[in-house]
Amino acid sequence: MPMISMPVPNVEIMSRRDEIITALLSALPAEIVISSESETLAYDCDALSAYRCSPLAVILPRTTAEVSAAMKICHELGVPIVPRGAGTSLAGGALPTADSIILGTARLNDTLEIDLENRFISVQSGVTNLSVTGSVEGDGFFYAPDPSSQLACAIAGNIAMNSGGAHCLKYGVTTNNLLGVTVVMANGEVVKLGGAHMDSSGYDLLGLICGSEGQLGIVTEATLRILPKPEGARPVLIGFNSPKTAGTCVADIIKAGILPVAIEYMDRLCIQETDKFSGAGYPDVEALLIVEVEGSEVEIDLQLARITSIAQKLDPAELRQSASAEESALIWKGRKSAFGAMGQINDYICLDGTVPVSQLAHVLERIGELSKQYGLDVANVFHAGDGNMHPLILYNANKEGDLDIAEKFGADILRLCVEVGGCLTGEHGVGIEKRDLMGEQFSANDMEMQMRVKDCFDPKWLLNPAKVYPLEVSKERRERLQNQMPNNGESSK
Amino acid sequence: MQTHFSPEQLKESAIERSNDILRACVHCGFCTATCPTYQILGDELDSPRGRIYLIKDMLENNRIPDDKTVTHIDRCLSCLACMSTCPSGVHYMHLIDHAREYVEEKYSRRWDDKAIRWLLATVLPYPERFRLSIYGAWMAKPFARLLPKKLRAMVEFAPKSLPPVSKNDKPQTFQAKTFQAKTFQAKTFQAKTFQAKTPKVKSKTSERPLKRVALMTGCAQRALNTEINDATIRILTRHGCDVVVAKGSGCCGALTHHMGKSDQARATAAKNINAWIKEMDGDGLDAIVINASGCGTTVKDYGHMFKNHPLEEDAKRIAAISKDISEVMGELGIEGASEQGQEVANMRVAYHSACSLQHGQQIKTLPKTLLQKVGFEVVEPKEPHLCCGSAGTYNLMQPELSKQLQERKTNHLKATNPDVIATGNIGCMMQIGSAIDVPTIHTIQLLDWATGGPKPRELNDVIPEEINIKPRDKTKELS
Amino acid sequence: MSSVLIPDDEAEIAEIVSAAKSNNTPLHIVGGGTRTGLGRTVKAQKLLSLKELSGISLYEPGALTIVAKAGTPLADIEQALAKENQRLAFEPMDHRPLFGSKGEPTIGGVVGGNISGPRRMISGACRDSLIGVRFINGRGKIIKNGGRVMKNVTGLDLVKLMAGSYGTLGVFSELSFKVMPTNERQATLVVFGLDIATAIKTLSVALGSPFEVSGATFIPHQDENGDASKTLLRVEGFDSQVSYRLERLKELVQKTIASTSSEIEIIEGDDHISLWQGIRDVKIFSGTKHQVFKLNIKPLDAIAISEAISAEMSTKNLDTKTLYDWGGGLIWLGIEDNEQGQDKVGQSANSHVQTIRSIVNEYGGHVTLVRAPKDVREAVSPFHPEHQIVAKLSSCLRKKFDPAGILNPGRLGADPLSAIAGGK
Repeated sequence: MPMISMPVPNVEIMSRRDEIITALLSALPAEIVISSESETLAYDCDALSAYRCSPLAVILPRTTAEVSAAMKICHELGVPIVPRGAGTSLAGGALPTADSIILGTARLNDTLEIDLENRFISVQSGVTNLSVTGSVEGDGFFYAPDPSSQLACAIAGNIAMNSGGAHCLKYGVTTNNLLGVTVVMANGEVVKLGGAHMDSSGYDLLGLICGSEGQLGIVTEATLRILPKPEGARPVLIGFNSPKTAGTCVADIIKAGILPVAIEYMDRLCIQETDKFSGAGYPDVEALLIVEVEGSEVEIDLQLARITSIAQKLDPAELRQSASAEESALIWKGRKSAFGAMGQINDYICLDGTVPVSQLAHVLERIGELSKQYGLDVANVFHAGDGNMHPLILYNANKEGDLDIAEKFGADILRLCVEVGGCLTGEHGVGIEKRDLMGEQFSANDMEMQMRVKDCFDPKWLLNPAKVYPLEVSKERRERLQNQMPNNGESSK
Repeated sequence: MQTHFSPEQLKESAIERSNDILRACVHCGFCTATCPTYQILGDELDSPRGRIYLIKDMLENNRIPDDKTVTHIDRCLSCLACMSTCPSGVHYMHLIDHAREYVEEKYSRRWDDKAIRWLLATVLPYPERFRLSIYGAWMAKPFARLLPKKLRAMVEFAPKSLPPVSKNDKPQTFQAKTFQAKTFQAKTFQAKTFQAKTPKVKSKTSERPLKRVALMTGCAQRALNTEINDATIRILTRHGCDVVVAKGSGCCGALTHHMGKSDQARATAAKNINAWIKEMDGDGLDAIVINASGCGTTVKDYGHMFKNHPLEEDAKRIAAISKDISEVMGELGIEGASEQGQEVANMRVAYHSACSLQHGQQIKTLPKTLLQKVGFEVVEPKEPHLCCGSAGTYNLMQPELSKQLQERKTNHLKATNPDVIATGNIGCMMQIGSAIDVPTIHTIQLLDWATGGPKPRELNDVIPEEINIKPRDKTKELS
Repeated sequence: MSSVLIPDDEAEIAEIVSAAKSNNTPLHIVGGGTRTGLGRTVKAQKLLSLKELSGISLYEPGALTIVAKAGTPLADIEQALAKENQRLAFEPMDHRPLFGSKGEPTIGGVVGGNISGPRRMISGACRDSLIGVRFINGRGKIIKNGGRVMKNVTGLDLVKLMAGSYGTLGVFSELSFKVMPTNERQATLVVFGLDIATAIKTLSVALGSPFEVSGATFIPHQDENGDASKTLLRVEGFDSQVSYRLERLKELVQKTIASTSSEIEIIEGDDHISLWQGIRDVKIFSGTKHQVFKLNIKPLDAIAISEAISAEMSTKNLDTKTLYDWGGGLIWLGIEDNEQGQDKVGQSANSHVQTIRSIVNEYGGHVTLVRAPKDVREAVSPFHPEHQIVAKLSSCLRKKFDPAGILNPGRLGADPLSAIAGGK
């Protein structure tokens, strides 16, 4: 039985289901409301498919106005809302409860404004991450945050989770590239924060919204910073037989003042499995680094020369510079297909903790020990430049009890991350996956402070209430509505 | 993903296969990014991931499919873009085909829906019937507005003209009338419809042909367009191949297969298999050449279609040597003929990558490379991975969605400012050609022309930018 | 009871704040005291000084991370970083030249004001480098958020909220930053004599190039000394990288302004350093009588906005001085008012603010009154009025963090809601 529990659906709300749907249909076009059981089924989970629950209904609005109308009604009727982007969350961020309504942003997919002179693009939040770059790359620009799911993930989700990606060592994460949003509040009010200018006036509410996991409001439009595309980029492959040395190499590169655009790390198990599928021809080593630098040809040569000399001092098992675009593609192919390759041979849980770069070797060692203890293999692939790790715990979903073990193992790894000075989640978000571990990282006061902030935005606690904070910690607030409802829960229109 | 089939259920081979496929899916959602219906409708249920989910639920629970599930399954184009995108190797094609079969078996369609599907399954695979139906459509055109939506779509979609029956793929009736096999010698073509030609390219003089290949003449394509096969035969013979139109071959079964009518599909496919096995075991075959990529995908999958069937081994043998015409030309090697060199070089070709070719058969760059090799300027539209909306019978069964995709595709193509649009599938040619002013022809017609064949007549009105065109040489024209 | 409280550590701060809350004693939180001229005057008698909370707790150059107590002098941090060839990427402004204040700026003050400089445009503001905070809220509770790793999305991002909160939400005790490497070489391309429209467009083109321009400023020509206008493009990197970038930028600039005759110079070394320090600290207003405004706008709008402001100000016969940073996205505007008498000064300042704000409102962005006499800052709202919903949220947040209203009360205005009225 999976470890993570969800709150018991509110019986009172469930009993009003028909009335709720009628109310929605009276204010919204029928084609945007989905309520049949066979159809709501498809929305019962995101990419964390081990946890599923069909929602009460699904709304797929096409405009900010429709989002606002939908939220207003849910607010009046006291129905929790679970926002959903492309449903690619690995943390269960879009997992509904049976008494909640999914509000999906997939139909908010217009591009609103592209301004190359002022270097921003405005989009509706349902557009995919990669399509943002797609809109501007012909003109020599790109949108920097590039999570691995960028082909499919939506900007709405990127903002909710403050997504990162391989490029973020140099260019920052979503919050560093977000200039403005249009956000619909829990009660349906629409407000614009930020814009095409830099820096907020007053409190940085924009910074607060980013990473708020759909708990403070639903973003329907976003203004994003775009950057000029570098003239070129090239990777170098460095293999070591000791994770410690690999970690030292990373630190040395950074200390030398070089800022690569990406530093990726793969361990032996990961290398072996992905090589079978990608044919990238990786060397058989304990630790593999892929370091990529950007600039003009001359600048790239310069940086790579320095990097190779740093690496050489550490006596690498393999040092391979790319000599052509094909080779570069091949070097990246393996890394990019890592998750897919794993998925073909195994079920897995993909973790997302961050550790200080100096602790990488120690953490990998500990993970190895835990792997033996739990009897499950782990493949490690991660962004070495910022210490954001993605251990893939391999298990068998159709084997009874395996998921449980895998989750316990995962929890131990995350505790370890916090222990060494890191954190529970580097880019996937808390969702439900790390909810119960929040206490490892935050004190009761810390969490109380955060929840008080949510109280300002969503006093009724209707937006994605069962996420981020452990259920006992958020219990009073989540149930506050039932206790406060006039007529003890009977509807009031 | 976790699946919940009982051991009894898993004893059935189709369920076992589908279970394997479902287990491979990790529900990551990448497939939604390239799914045409998801782009248009924005609903998880109309994405591969959502469909996989619905199918999983339906099969696990042995459910009678409900209307909504069937609607979403019906909306799938089977473009297989999701398979290109899926990082986990989910074989979506086999899953959706199984689901369609299941729906066909267990779901009671509305009488009109049933009737239309019966009509398509009975008419399209048989060129003579197909021709008759087009004549019927022409007659019905004035009354189109009175017809129910789907029939109206079909009537409106009927091409404005049909080529005369080509003697090169002699029609066969539904009664399985035997077809006269014709064997074409390398470099010359014996029948009277073609002029013997001395190729301008360096002739491959040899006693024996380089390859002996069977040409699948197809079904719908034969009725709609005879130039494609003609061009195929010409270019193959010109490059040293004997081309056999095997006695007994015909429709590959794709159309009926995609409707879930798998028994019917297997029946027509079996005819092909038997016809080609006969040739394989007779004078031998190096390849079975298919120039309709929609069919190619199906034929290459015959091994799966005939699993646990007496013809399984033969099916696998056939599948193993089946190739798209571009693959064969890639193997043979081609060069541009100097005579049309200038004209070719001035022509801008927008290459439309048919879904069945790029996703179904994973042939993505070869046709472009070949076109470039013989001298064309090749451009590609935006969103090249997205379906044009033809998808077999989709444009007839789902006219609204098909139209939206058609518009999207033709807009992108127009934006590249092409002189001609080339593609590897008849369905795409019809879908795009009927909605755009630019001539839309088969890639092989261009390759044939560029390597020494006649200029495709569709290009006669095309005046590319910098060109010094000679008047058309009438002696080269097909009679 | 002393009116200056100087806690030694975090726990002591918590005690002080708890006590202040119980007694309803407002506190004025002070680091180096060099930026007290920002915002309004704090309505508090007791000073809470963080000067003893000083020291770098952790510095890992290989991980680009530094953690320091809030009262640590900025200079100490910059020195420690410089030793390892690293720096704070956001180039924080020193307000002492502008305010004529004395003291040693602390890192806490930098964060409290979200203080950045010219490089903010490409490297992000202070809040973008800030990765972790420890603070004591108005209830006396020690709160932490973020941490010491860059990739951290655990829970709500209060780190961003705290930056630029001017001490109204909490008293910082410890701050963590992501730092960046310095560069081997820095140089500036100077183009002389461009008019504002050409300059802003040129800066935009340069910023759209792959040459990583880290400073993009336009200094209009000065009537007094007859200096031509200067359009500045700063590049940094390895030695050969910089040469390459300067070369390419020069070509690009010449192409954009469609001329090879405009004078172009390259500045390096000490001149370069003092040039950018001058821009960073807005030294053009050092020791002058101008009321100084900061306009955050869309860069290309700088052209139209500056025109509109000039038109307005010339009708009022006022001397203005401007500096355009961030490619035009930040206008420093000084207005020298010749009005005498407090009332008149206050009134005219009010009308300047209204005028400038209404011009900027047409285009989008906001206007902050950065420097003005105390009573002027009481008469007008230094911060741009907020949308009603935003004001409501801000007010609510303030109450959640500081229910008794004891932390720097009045700094941001009596209550954010009053800012809407644009004044008292």
